[in-house]
Amino acid sequence: MRIVIAEDQALLREGLRRLFEDAGHELIAAVENADRLRAAVSEHEPDLAVVDVRTPPTFTDEGIRAARWIREAHPRVGVLVLSQHVEAAGAVGLVSHGGFGYLLKDRVLDVADFLEAAERVAKGGSALDPQVVASLVGGESADALAVLTGREREVLSLMAEGLTNNAIARRLVLTERTVEGHVRSVLMKLDLPASDGAHRRVLAVIAYLRAGELKR
Amino acid sequence: MAGGGACTLDVLAGSDGPGVWMTVGGVVATLASTAVGLLLTTRRRENPIGWLLLANGLVLAAMGVAEGYAAYAVLAEPGALPGGSWAVLFNERAWPLLFASVTAIAWLFPDGRLPSRRWRPYARIGAASFAILVVLLFLMAERFSERFAHVRSPLPEVSEAAVGMPFALSGLVALASLVGGALAVRSRLRRTSGVERLQLKWLAYAAALIPAAVVTCLIEVAIAGDDGPATGIALVVALTAIPVGVGVAVMRYRLYEIDRLINRTLVYVGLSVGLAIAFAGVSLAVGVAIGSGSTLPTAVATLAVALLFGPLRARVQLLVDRRFNRARYEGLRTVERYLEDLRAGRAAPEATGDMLARALGDPRLELLFWLPAGELHVDATGRVVDPPSGGDRVRTPVRRGPFPLATVVHDPALAERPDLLDSVIEAAGLAIEIARLRVEVRRQLAEVEESRARIVTAGYEERRRLERDLHDGAQQRLVSIGLALRHLQGQLPAASAEAGAIDATVSELSRAIEELRELARGVRPAGLDDGLGPALRGLASRSRLRASVEATDDRFEDRVETAAYFVASEALANAAKHASASTVAVSAARETGSLVVSVRDDGIGGAVPGLGSGLAGITDRIAALGGSVTVTSPEGEGTVVRAELPCGS
Repeated sequence: MRIVIAEDQALLREGLRRLFEDAGHELIAAVENADRLRAAVSEHEPDLAVVDVRTPPTFTDEGIRAARWIREAHPRVGVLVLSQHVEAAGAVGLVSHGGFGYLLKDRVLDVADFLEAAERVAKGGSALDPQVVASLVGGESADALAVLTGREREVLSLMAEGLTNNAIARRLVLTERTVEGHVRSVLMKLDLPASDGAHRRVLAVIAYLRAGELKR
Repeated sequence: MAGGGACTLDVLAGSDGPGVWMTVGGVVATLASTAVGLLLTTRRRENPIGWLLLANGLVLAAMGVAEGYAAYAVLAEPGALPGGSWAVLFNERAWPLLFASVTAIAWLFPDGRLPSRRWRPYARIGAASFAILVVLLFLMAERFSERFAHVRSPLPEVSEAAVGMPFALSGLVALASLVGGALAVRSRLRRTSGVERLQLKWLAYAAALIPAAVVTCLIEVAIAGDDGPATGIALVVALTAIPVGVGVAVMRYRLYEIDRLINRTLVYVGLSVGLAIAFAGVSLAVGVAIGSGSTLPTAVATLAVALLFGPLRARVQLLVDRRFNRARYEGLRTVERYLEDLRAGRAAPEATGDMLARALGDPRLELLFWLPAGELHVDATGRVVDPPSGGDRVRTPVRRGPFPLATVVHDPALAERPDLLDSVIEAAGLAIEIARLRVEVRRQLAEVEESRARIVTAGYEERRRLERDLHDGAQQRLVSIGLALRHLQGQLPAASAEAGAIDATVSELSRAIEELRELARGVRPAGLDDGLGPALRGLASRSRLRASVEATDDRFEDRVETAAYFVASEALANAAKHASASTVAVSAARETGSLVVSVRDDGIGGAVPGLGSGLAGITDRIAALGGSVTVTSPEGEGTVVRAELPCGS
């Protein structure tokens, strides 16, 4: 993958660069704020842009805004937003567009999962942090999800995180066929349209969960 | 003076020589006239009034000396001294000069000029008539008074038949010019205002004492058969009144107190008359009832008078005010009614300024309270005001003992009515003091409230900074360290013991980061940056209860959102811990200038919001921001925690 990074802390920027380079990816640019990120993305049109939510100058939601801009201006570029915490409004909405990921920063320490998510996003898939999914699955949606078995709920959460059936199977140490069965069952029970594309499936699941959230 | 002179002549005519009281009166009058004359001529050299008083004093002195000289040279030791007959002549015939100076003062007072050019010919005629009168008196063939009846005038005598007509005529004209003096004063009084009017009032007051002195003198002579102490006192007062009054008026020292003086005089004269009548009436009645010769009537009458004094004085004062000082009467009535309203709770002490404006008839009047702590003036609303000075506004301080309470800013016209101003302010003193205290307390309370809000806001700011530091500082650093360790791990063979140790360390690090994140959220949820709704939804999703959230998308001040969030957070925690609840409804809505946050659970209720509970601290912080928290928790019906936070609009 060809990657651009926007992270204001030099140490972390360096760590990320090494992380991607160790994994054999090409780091085209590592910049310190969202504006430079825009320039770098326009210039290099990378496969993936990794951006910190809070960057100078205001340290609020520059990363989210930059992600939205990339979404509009360079739809082919995947965007992975890294955050210090899960409460960033708007991130969930962006996930549903595909080619977008939203992860807590410390997920980078689970190197394999992180790289898998990054690659998924670069290819147009989704990545939503487990904590965000947990908050979507908890609360009011819990009632609606009562029809699911425990295993099915696990599968649903991983679907919402953006994982493919294959990845879900690996994560849960199941056969892919078993996972497919669970997925079918979940979609049927929740009355969601069956779909081949992993991304559209995520979209449906998240839309469902968010509808539950909005009701609250 | 004229009355004094008349009285002098009157008494002189009927006795051998001047009594001791007459002598004292003469000496005092001479001294007063001369002293004030000297004072005025040195200070106001250009004003003829001083010179006239001086002349008047000299004439009086000369007459006194002449009398003594005549008595010695003609009666005691005839022929021992020369010019005895001249002394007799001067003593007996110079009296019109006294009237002349008084008349001139009346015409020229207070600026030394005639009221207008039209008066000039009359003034000349008047002056001439006095001159002619004195000359004719000196030449007239008339016997001297009884004591000096045997003395022959040193001047050639003209028969009365020859001078009769001119004498009568000049006497009449002189009398007319004396009356003209009174008219001049009246005319000036009518057209002037301000200081000159007060000056004229002083003169008029002094002049009015003379008839009063004459009446006193006559009454004493009628009752006691001779002049005595009352006559003496009346004479001293009458003879000194004009010089003193003129001196006050021209020097303008205590010029403004004339109204009070008139008022007091009227009150005490009225009081004296009333008490005298009461005394006479009671002693007569008791005397008739039990027979004369006893001291009882006098004692009873004295007692009656003593008992009557207080109420009668108030009554007379009221009558005098009502008749002669309507403004003061009405002003005091207004204050009195206001104080009654204040006691009954129908009026607020803050309205004291408006009331004073009404009582003193100055709609622009301002009452500014003095706050010694800040050394500044504030109005009734607590706003800091610099009292205007100069121009058309005058400041009068209000004091309670030595302590300044307030400043009344008023029209300069009021400064000329110190009796009105002072008595109204004095009557309203308590109300002013109460109003000042209330304003002071309110200001202090507002200051405390502001500082409390600042402290709470600063606390929230501090939390935000701390949260930033934890997230952007410590947490990121730990992630960087983790990445570095991962990098190291990558260099090692996957199965090595070192790689395993690093992996374990990174796991520990991940947990540390997780804990740090929780800590930071407790300090201040970062979700608040996105608004109360997202923050509350985040809060609800983390609760172990089923929590629904209905929150406005409006944004509020950071401190308001933060405070609202922590109320909900604390209430949710309580619901989870104590209420045995299963579902909670959280709502945040804008309601007419307030952000209202409520948390309703379906638990057992019966919660007692006591001290030491987490909610108590939150309640304090809400109160600091001007809001309030209520907890409704009927047994068995769940608990509702409701917080209202003012949010400006």
